[in-house]
Amino acid sequence: MLAYRSQRIAYAYFAAALVLFSLQLAFGFLALAKYLGPDPLLDVLNFATAKAIHTNLLLVWLLTGFMGSAYYLVPEESRVEIYSERLAWMQLALWLFAGVTTVVGYLFGITEGRKFLEMPLVLKFGVVIVMLIFLFNVAMTIRRAGRFTTTEGVLLGGLAGAALLFLPGLIPFDNYTLDRFYRWWVVHLWVEGVWELIMGGLLAFLLIRLSGADREVLEKWLYVIVGLTFLSGILGTGHHYYWIGTPRYWLWVGGFFSALEPLAFLGMAIYAYTIIGRSGLAHPNSIALHWTLGSAIFSAIGAGILGFAHTWPQVNQWTHGTHITTMHGHMAFFGAYAMIVFAMISYALPALTGSSDAERQTRLGLAAFWLMIGGMFGMTMALAAAGITQTYLERILGLGYLETQQKIQVHYLMWLGTAVIFAAGAGAYVWDFVRAGAPRAEPGPAT
Amino acid sequence: MTKATTRRFFFAGTALFTLVFIGLTLHTHSTIARRTHSDRLDERVVRGLHVWARYNCENCHTLLGEGAYYAPDLTEIVAQRGKGYLAAFLANPAAFYSEARDRRLMPTLGLSEPEIADVLEFLTWVDGIDSNGWPPRPILVAGAAPRGLPGIETRVDAERPGDRGQALFNGAGACAGCHAVAPGVRLVGPSLSGIGITAAERVADASYGGTATAAEGYLRESILEPSRFLAPGSNYATPDGRSYMPDHYPKVLAAGQVDDLVAYLVTLR
Repeated sequence: MLAYRSQRIAYAYFAAALVLFSLQLAFGFLALAKYLGPDPLLDVLNFATAKAIHTNLLLVWLLTGFMGSAYYLVPEESRVEIYSERLAWMQLALWLFAGVTTVVGYLFGITEGRKFLEMPLVLKFGVVIVMLIFLFNVAMTIRRAGRFTTTEGVLLGGLAGAALLFLPGLIPFDNYTLDRFYRWWVVHLWVEGVWELIMGGLLAFLLIRLSGADREVLEKWLYVIVGLTFLSGILGTGHHYYWIGTPRYWLWVGGFFSALEPLAFLGMAIYAYTIIGRSGLAHPNSIALHWTLGSAIFSAIGAGILGFAHTWPQVNQWTHGTHITTMHGHMAFFGAYAMIVFAMISYALPALTGSSDAERQTRLGLAAFWLMIGGMFGMTMALAAAGITQTYLERILGLGYLETQQKIQVHYLMWLGTAVIFAAGAGAYVWDFVRAGAPRAEPGPAT
Repeated sequence: MTKATTRRFFFAGTALFTLVFIGLTLHTHSTIARRTHSDRLDERVVRGLHVWARYNCENCHTLLGEGAYYAPDLTEIVAQRGKGYLAAFLANPAAFYSEARDRRLMPTLGLSEPEIADVLEFLTWVDGIDSNGWPPRPILVAGAAPRGLPGIETRVDAERPGDRGQALFNGAGACAGCHAVAPGVRLVGPSLSGIGITAAERVADASYGGTATAAEGYLRESILEPSRFLAPGSNYATPDGRSYMPDHYPKVLAAGQVDDLVAYLVTLR
């Protein structure tokens, strides 16, 4: 049962996110097939297009999930209905319109050609408008409530920061080095900066709800975690400034501070582990518990440790631009951001569909969790083997790029096999979501 | 420790590191013109950057190591391949690589001649950026430049000229990126297997139109004036007879380095 009627908006955001997630996997498989080659679609839908769609869908579905999570969370935290449901629907429609138009445009070769920021400029302005509508709607909600918790503050701070840091991505530069420099303000300061606030906020909310732990204690440590994020992550941007034409001191600054970046993720893992350890796995929604704890641990490995593995300049000069990055990227995005969205969806779904937590503790839902994390772990291992082999043969021994690619085909086959396991889990998750039934929004308790 | 303390830690830390970051950003800006040779950044380079973006190049390739990992890094490609070859390649990649052999092929993007010229200007300019020494060793598109591991690699300061030449061939000179020394292996240029013998035969042949009189002279001429005499075979030169081999070696190689390379190549018999 929903506490606030307007929380039902979250269902539409989650459903849209899962559709886009499924499409992301389809384009991922398409791109992976091209690694195995030959490519019958070479002149129809080439690798660059498939990959751009794969990564853009990732960003779009995660942000859809974040915004849906915020619409679910803010009423409960501020104890009031959302300011305007209609605005939230308009926002979703405009957002999906911009997203779908972008992807269709890619199919016709309309692109700005900057990795992750390929969206044409006019649609980027559409995204800015969407973010402004969203921030206005939640700001008005909180203003009306007069109650503003640290947890939602961190979440919304992250989303507002994401909107603000999107702006440097709108500026065109003639100098490639400057173009790169500010592209990382968006990409790095999103995923290794403000997005961690989003994750931290959602994690704190879930831990409060799932463990019943004291909010004051949780929010105290939340400040430490997000403090560590910015302490390391802001100057950690420098690990993208080693080789693009920026001064040499970035090797030291970027190396040192990005080496500290795992602290925030390790902090989140310890945080979740300790809190759940104290309360025990008592909450009836064990699927949400799995995803919450899983996200904290997986992000510590994928984003924290695997990022650390190649962030030091003496290592990075050899691994830069190899599948080592693919390895880190897949597990980091999945652990930190995809899993926290799945945790929110799984947590909110019983209330959104009017069933009890215990009813939603399905075997299918658990199978989805284990298949997805097992598959992603396997993909990470396959990519690690590919990346290490590539670094050694191509960068150190001096074998050509094409010859090296032939040598690592076997790892691509393993990548494919483990990706199939992952996709089976994803399919199970989506089916479990569908099976939960249509959203029901009986009015909650009077407010 | 109270929540108020940790809140202060968050806000103070964030403010401090944001200020440091902005300070470093301002300083970085003041160095970019020098580090990227912005005097060479003319309108052709800018148009080339737009071509690079419009055709979504970085979702397959990397440049300065940034981009996607489906195709080779292009940071030093103009120095390695030369503009003549690259222009012909970009117009029709299928003429140079085989999808059946390599499992992948660059699509024919339908680039116009001006677009090709511009993107090559852009790539030339990018190679001039001071990238703090990256890549530490040349990254090759195809073939192999067996360098050995640090400590046991062939050394450019070896005692014998031929040994120095071999190190240069496989290393900084990146000759191995286009020429195999194994028999029958064609990368971009012809295999140099047995070139010591072949060079002597060519000089003696009536069809030879160059100025050399011996194998050493032929090899020197091939390095410094690659279009003077074209080795037989297709896809080695433009239709009007300009070799795809870059003609910048008189500028980028010291006289002693050319001697070393010749000393090495003449031993390939």
